[in-house]
Amino acid sequence: MSIRTEEPTAAVSTGSALDPGAPAQEAAPSSAAPAAALDNMLLHFEVQRLYHLEAQLLDQHRYADWLELLADDLHYWAPVRTNRLRRQQSLADGAPGEVAIFDETKASLAWRIRRFDSGMAWAEDPPSRTRHLITNVMVRPDDEPGQYVAESAFLCYRNRLEREVDIYAGCRTDVLRRGTDGGLLIARRTILLDQNVLLAKNISTFL
Amino acid sequence: MSALPRTPAAAADVSPLFDLGQGLIDRSIFSDETLYRQELRRVFAPSWLFLAHESQFNKPGDFFTTYMGEDPVIVTMGRDRRIRAFLNACRHRGMRVCRADAGATKAFTCSYHGWSYDTSGKLINVPNRDGYPDGFDQDKWGLTEVAQLDTYKGLIFATWNPEAPPLRQALGDMTWYMDAMLDRDPDGTEVVGGVHKWVLEGNWKLAAEQFASDWYHVNISHASALMVMSPSGKGPKAEIVQTPGRQYTDPNGHGAGFPTHPKSRFDDRVVHHYYDYEKLRERLGDTRVEGPMTTGHATVFPNFSYLPVNGSIRVWHPKGPDRMEVWAWTLVDKSMPDEVKNAQRLYNLRTFGPTGIFEQDDGENWSECQATAHGFMAGSMALNYQMGLGSETEDGTHPGTTGHLYSDGAARGFYARWRDLMNTPAWHEKDHEKDTP
Repeated sequence: MSIRTEEPTAAVSTGSALDPGAPAQEAAPSSAAPAAALDNMLLHFEVQRLYHLEAQLLDQHRYADWLELLADDLHYWAPVRTNRLRRQQSLADGAPGEVAIFDETKASLAWRIRRFDSGMAWAEDPPSRTRHLITNVMVRPDDEPGQYVAESAFLCYRNRLEREVDIYAGCRTDVLRRGTDGGLLIARRTILLDQNVLLAKNISTFL
Repeated sequence: MSALPRTPAAAADVSPLFDLGQGLIDRSIFSDETLYRQELRRVFAPSWLFLAHESQFNKPGDFFTTYMGEDPVIVTMGRDRRIRAFLNACRHRGMRVCRADAGATKAFTCSYHGWSYDTSGKLINVPNRDGYPDGFDQDKWGLTEVAQLDTYKGLIFATWNPEAPPLRQALGDMTWYMDAMLDRDPDGTEVVGGVHKWVLEGNWKLAAEQFASDWYHVNISHASALMVMSPSGKGPKAEIVQTPGRQYTDPNGHGAGFPTHPKSRFDDRVVHHYYDYEKLRERLGDTRVEGPMTTGHATVFPNFSYLPVNGSIRVWHPKGPDRMEVWAWTLVDKSMPDEVKNAQRLYNLRTFGPTGIFEQDDGENWSECQATAHGFMAGSMALNYQMGLGSETEDGTHPGTTGHLYSDGAARGFYARWRDLMNTPAWHEKDHEKDTP
């Protein structure tokens, strides 16, 4: 099964082409560059479609399908967030090579997903209800041609058993790349969860 | 002790809650609020508690904040390069003088009124000093320092109890088992940067007890993880499920369990290939390499636990009878090449920690045990700790007393120690000369 976002075909309403995701030099409305602004909107729309599909797959526990949205050389990373003195803020987010909530390759994510399929992953049996909400999407071209950097905010609500509730909120910075069929793949993801002490007994989904 | 004389709080006799000879424990020890307050006074305050790893402190001013029981503490290296630990509470109004997790500083200044303390705990600045009476002696108002601080092979422990036996004595024979993790490398160990911290809606003893005593749950609770990790992908071989092994029970409440296998192994291939097992056998002896160095588990009483193969060391911070906070570090050998350290780090975070394929299921178990502990009937039942009763012996191979691997023996030892501490007035309940100015 191939999961790809459809190429956007819907007409987008015209008007002020103020796209928050556009690079600064393209952001100013200019009647001289309507085509560039439209391209930008289409890209933005395509990325949002990708994220909405991804959220749906995760909320439906279709993890194997979710894996198909990820590039083979994926790095999926969620450092820990620490409280630091204001003058030492540069150390507030965990560095590469430190303890992390996730530090994954596509293969290690597949390993985690196989656990869910074992029928004995008790932390998800009965399964949780989750809702991934993805918003504040901003896209810009990456330095690497054909790649984009997409930032988004997420809020994942988990409700489990009778009344357990966990909320995971934060931001993600992705590098997106076109796959061989033209669809966008997630090649890098950095997740900054807005918590110091993780306020949940575990994270049994993906963000 | 810098406190006003106070009548000790009434203490409950917890003896009726235990019949350890029969392997019975009253479930209220996990949920009762009064027992919890008594536990902070009589189990946590008098015991040696784990603070941090020495490798977190490299230069004067480096600090790390943590908890001893529910008490916030600062661990810091002074200008004399000595590591000290203080109550993280301003002597003026009690606010935390440091609200960062870690860092480097010259002084800890309270942001309420500006009382400022240096890294040896001395009060060095009091704004509007003239407003205090002549008898105000600044030297008497330094941060409250722990009574004793000591290290064991990189691990820093401290206690508020001036009468506690020295750390080495409190650890006793447990050090022989700990060395299987701490002493593989002549250069010692260090921790990877950062600490995993997460909350669990469960009593801290559920976790501490399990790490002391519970190999039993592995095959069921972690069946999914064992299946994923097995070479066939279909689950571990019968000889792994039915592994032989031993469980160590310490008179001071510590405990450790470990499979015994002539071919000790590390689950991560890179780490496994790194180790020279012949050298380890020379250094630690065959018994340790084939036992405590394998995929075992351990608790140093009361709330420090570790997994020797994963390099996970952790504290179960009590946060009320129904809640704990887990703080977990990743331990590696200092001499490991970077790629081996990294392999160990990744293996640990993928198996243990809040997203670990093992740890996720542990969290579910503990929160579920706690969720129903307040029911009257469910909460008043005696729990069964009978596994392995009578199996404890001095086996002539392992120091101290050991029993079957599949046993509640170390849990019975853990609770015997807990019961005795709960029934013994701590140093702060005895008559002491108060030095409060």
